[in-house]
Amino acid sequence: MSLPPGTLFLLASALLFAIGAHGLVTCRHLLRKVLALNVAMTGVFLLLVTLGRSGTTVDPVPHAMVLTGIVVALSTTAVALGLIVRLERRRP
Amino acid sequence: MVLPPTAMLVVTLLTLPLATATLLFASGRQPRTLTLAAALLSTCAALALGLNVHLEGVSVHAIGGWEAPLGIHWQVTVPGAVMLLATAMVGLAGAVYGAGYFVHRPGPEGRMARVFMPLWLFAWGGLNALFVAADLFNLYVALEVLTLASVALVALSARRTALQAAMRYLLAALFGSVIYLLGVALLYGQYGILDLDGLTSKLDPKHPGSRAGAVALTIGLLTKAAIFPLHFWLPGAHGRAEPPVSALLSGLVVAAAFYLLLRLWFGPLAGLLTFGVGTLFGAIGAGALLWGGVLALMQRRLKMMVAYSTVSQFGFAMLVFPLALAADREPVVTGGTLLLANHALAKAALFLAAGSLVRASGSDRIDRLVGFTGSSRWAWIAVILAAAALIGVPPTLGFSAKWLLLQVAVAEGAWWWLGAMLGGTLLTFAYLGRLLERALLAPAPAPHPPKLKIALLLPALLLALLACVMGLWAFDVETFARLEPGP
Amino acid sequence: MHPAEALFDALLLLSMVVLAWQGVHARNMFRAVVSFMMFGLLTAVAWVRLEAPDIALAEAALGAGLTGALLLATLGRLKPERRGARLQRAAKLSMLPWLALGLAGTMTLLAVTLALPAPGLGERVLSAMPEAGVDSPVTAVLLNFRAWDTLLEIAVMLLAVIAIWSLGQDVLASTSRLPAPSLPALVRLLFPLLVLSTFYLLWRGGHGPGGAFPAGALLAAGLVLALLAGARVPERMTGAPLRCALAAGLLAFIIIAVGVMAEGGVFFAYPPRHAPMLIAIVEIAAGLSIGVMLTALFLGGEPTDTQGGST
Repeated sequence: MSLPPGTLFLLASALLFAIGAHGLVTCRHLLRKVLALNVAMTGVFLLLVTLGRSGTTVDPVPHAMVLTGIVVALSTTAVALGLIVRLERRRP
Repeated sequence: MVLPPTAMLVVTLLTLPLATATLLFASGRQPRTLTLAAALLSTCAALALGLNVHLEGVSVHAIGGWEAPLGIHWQVTVPGAVMLLATAMVGLAGAVYGAGYFVHRPGPEGRMARVFMPLWLFAWGGLNALFVAADLFNLYVALEVLTLASVALVALSARRTALQAAMRYLLAALFGSVIYLLGVALLYGQYGILDLDGLTSKLDPKHPGSRAGAVALTIGLLTKAAIFPLHFWLPGAHGRAEPPVSALLSGLVVAAAFYLLLRLWFGPLAGLLTFGVGTLFGAIGAGALLWGGVLALMQRRLKMMVAYSTVSQFGFAMLVFPLALAADREPVVTGGTLLLANHALAKAALFLAAGSLVRASGSDRIDRLVGFTGSSRWAWIAVILAAAALIGVPPTLGFSAKWLLLQVAVAEGAWWWLGAMLGGTLLTFAYLGRLLERALLAPAPAPHPPKLKIALLLPALLLALLACVMGLWAFDVETFARLEPGP
Repeated sequence: MHPAEALFDALLLLSMVVLAWQGVHARNMFRAVVSFMMFGLLTAVAWVRLEAPDIALAEAALGAGLTGALLLATLGRLKPERRGARLQRAAKLSMLPWLALGLAGTMTLLAVTLALPAPGLGERVLSAMPEAGVDSPVTAVLLNFRAWDTLLEIAVMLLAVIAIWSLGQDVLASTSRLPAPSLPALVRLLFPLLVLSTFYLLWRGGHGPGGAFPAGALLAAGLVLALLAGARVPERMTGAPLRCALAAGLLAFIIIAVGVMAEGGVFFAYPPRHAPMLIAIVEIAAGLSIGVMLTALFLGGEPTDTQGGST
């Protein structure tokens, strides 16, 4: 096979981004929207790290960016879930 | 007088709000004196910084001594300093207003007051971080600080409508963040750097990564700046939040995203600003002016009207891009920045005054507002002054901004954009005039409107006054418009 | 690349894409959440394949573990999704143009990303490593070269805690215990191990993969497991002590960033002599506070309030 080294990962990252963006627009339920956002975010993270690998040395800057990004994504997701629970709480 | 060095002031502006907010949270109390002292100190730092920039020009600071592209830079540009100053004014005014508006008491009644101050300071710190940042990824993190603080502030009242608006806002903002980060990744993949100056010198419009990256960054920021037709989240979030929160969100948070658009399109992406792109941006702006203006005209509730006015005013700001197709971009950048500063001051004043009027009237309906009586008189004066600045009556800051842009449009023969500007101004005049007419000439009968505290009147009045008199201050256009540090 | 490796990657990425789709669109919300958690686990494997062990550790603990726990706790509190079968079919039809758009977008994105030269900053980081004060390049970027990003990121996390707490009391509550009788015993066994690994990772961060982020994530995983098994935040820890613990990370970061200005006058410029020690302090503070903040995110409200409700 003569594919460039990161092709599969790039394809997966593009697909994940598309699935996430598409889901965010088409889904009705708020929880699904949040999941879709996370999927899209993972797509971007994959892209960043894959790009960091194409050079001669492994580039640590994208790794640092993704680590920061994961924590930021988790924080925002937690806030979103907190809001969803308050909005859609099951009546006791 | 010896001013502290700019680097010191930047550090103060960034760490003081964050540290104070953290301490307030840790203590779990609401010492008003401490918060107001921190707010005052931040404002002084911003003033000194503005003076420094005026005297010494723009400056660059390498954090940790690591030069870009390895490290992160702070860059104090003139437009950035203007926005820092506007932030300080609105931040201080909002802090004072908040101290008077919310009930300060232990227990559940004082919840809003307890939560408001830390969040307010976090938002302030985030804004400051954004206006000095010169690194794509650092901007992303600063934007997230701002987003989370703003969302929490929208949800402050914990009413169902507010929570819904906050959720909508959060999803829109996160959508913007994802796309923005995609743009960062694409540009990093193309050039292997993140700092804006490096990108400015390296960026080639022909590279695939630069174009795709620019599209992604722009869509992300347009969403965060609520530019028509991506404005769907704004009216709810700004109309349903508490008044000081609306002031901050409408005046600054949206403006911060728009400032970034300016920063990118007149910095690294300048080579991509072709006739087609400029025209597209202009068309979006004209659409926003019309849509926001007409909807503002149709609103029955005061705060929703002011919120739609924000949609319309940012349409005005978008007209900066087609005008920048001219050879000389400096007056356009100046005009755009002044427009943002004017909007920040005037819109914040309008929202604060609106909050006071709503409290005095006991209703948000425009036809039930109290008239020009008692202490509400001062709130109405603030509304009138802010309206004058938004419309652009001389000698307000709004007039200076619009005048600069108008001159460019005339010199370029850009009649379409000139028409859009005049139409937008007319619409602004129409919906603000309708408000004043309804309320001043046919006020609702309110026999004993409650007396308003001075903390609910003075901030709005001062902000509106500032927007009005700042236009008198002659700006040195040439040094002003320089986005990049000079040689 | 070895053909077997290529095949493994292809299978891994294919499953990730399928699980991601399931995670967004599965008919049943519970299945969606579980698919999403499995997606997170596979993502961690993908990070290993991309030679990013730090991210893999953080992803396994955060992306799959903690996010999953949060999602399940949320799901248990929601009304069931109301969506008639007819509505669903209608939604499916309207999805077609979106799908086409999505595919076109994917292909464009792929074409662009394949053409990127990706020069990166690897060489520059490498040449600056002698002055970085640590041996691990990722830690050097996070806590030295781009420490300002990390400071703001900790601010984001603290903000998230404040935001959730400001929504009122007891949002997710710690009552969402898993119905697994053997869990408490298992946790008693696992918890010391997880805490031990936290400190191991913190110590290792200086030279190899590890450091504040994975360590904090692991600590949080341990604490959340303990909560799931029925542990409660001790009474004397709630209120001011907990708030201080949450705020400590950001405060320590700010104090050090500003404090080093006494030496050289530059924000965040560690003096070379003290750089290793200062970075170690920042790393431990950041790691521990990340752990506590992540746990607080899971708690979803001020624990004082939940305690008042449950006892």
